Amino acid sequence: MKSFPLKIVTPDGPQFEGEAEELIVRTISGDMGILAGHIDCVTALGMGRATVVTSEGKREAACIGGILSVLDGTVSLVPTTFEWADKIDLGRAEAAEQRARRMLEDKRLSNVEVRLAEARLKRALVRQSVASARLGR
Amino acid sequence: MAGVSTKEIKTRIRSMESTKQITKAMEMVAASKLRHAQAQIAYSRPYFRMIYGVIQDIVETTQDQRLPYLTPVKKAAHKTAYVVIAGDRGLAGGYNSNVLKLCYGEMREGECAVLPIGKKAVDFFTARGVQLLNENYAEAEHVSVSDCFTMARALCKAFRAGEYDEIRLGYSNFVSVLSQTPATMKLLPLEPEAKEKTAKSDILYEPNSGEVFENIIPEYIGGVIYGALCESRASEQAARRSAMDTATQNAEDMIADLSLKYNQARQAAITQEITEIVAGT
Repeated sequence: MKSFPLKIVTPDGPQFEGEAEELIVRTISGDMGILAGHIDCVTALGMGRATVVTSEGKREAACIGGILSVLDGTVSLVPTTFEWADKIDLGRAEAAEQRARRMLEDKRLSNVEVRLAEARLKRALVRQSVASARLGR
Repeated sequence: MAGVSTKEIKTRIRSMESTKQITKAMEMVAASKLRHAQAQIAYSRPYFRMIYGVIQDIVETTQDQRLPYLTPVKKAAHKTAYVVIAGDRGLAGGYNSNVLKLCYGEMREGECAVLPIGKKAVDFFTARGVQLLNENYAEAEHVSVSDCFTMARALCKAFRAGEYDEIRLGYSNFVSVLSQTPATMKLLPLEPEAKEKTAKSDILYEPNSGEVFENIIPEYIGGVIYGALCESRASEQAARRSAMDTATQNAEDMIADLSLKYNQARQAAITQEITEIVAGT
């Protein structure tokens, strides 16, 4: 299969650099798949699963926020958070979910706090779904 | 050396020695923190370069001037917002004053407000009566990635609301362990580096350019602030390390000088005593 150069860089350092055959990410307007020879394109990332297919196989990750750009055939993924499925701490994500749910039960929260807690809950859920898919649960 | 007693010199040597111990300890602490900060830079730099490159590519190729963030909104106030990153503590050579003076010099050209990061920045601008946006980030050491994104969202919102027509960032560039240069850069409105636009504007924006810009620019600003914060932190530790190194060396020089004087004074006293005995007075 034809491949394209892919770079994934986060504030915590580069996560991937090399040739990929397929990339699927969740953008603000739904899942988007990219193959070699894609048109120049820019979009914002949502919260969800990212799948990278290389000649060695398929890897999944939790990918939250940031930018995806395809320029002259080079794909740059610049997410705020990007964690490979095997690096996700499932216990921590579950604890974060509990914390966020407890916070949301509190009725005295301001709008900003509610939004923060909801975002936290969503991040925790994304992480859990990516990590547990790998474990085959 | 007649006037100064040996006892007096001895006390001075002792006090100098304790000063030396303190500066030496501070140097070692800074050196260890510097290693940490340098490791962080190694991670944040590729991200900074990438996100900056991606946005530059977009800005240079896009023809659509109606996109948000490319120009100040109509009827925007002629006011500049500065994000200034300095340290929490002094004793770091020229680190704090360099970046603060550079920003303050630029600010005098027009009306401004400041979002200070670091206690020294808060104190500096409060003392000079500059309007502060908030003091939530008075501790530069504890500002996290998500704080940077929160800041960026607030700044973008204010820019879109027309509160400011320009947003700038002041920080210290970590050139090397021995050299750190203060710098300012323009965050908003976005401006292409190359003046001439390459006529290639068939980039596909999904779902549409307006919405994409709406979402990615705050991310971009947050990323740039975070990158600058990492640079500044490493600069602070490097500046403190070399300042403390110099201080330790100065202390050593003074101790050597004083020891010599002490020995001379002691010798003079002994000689005088012997002379007195021999003379039999």
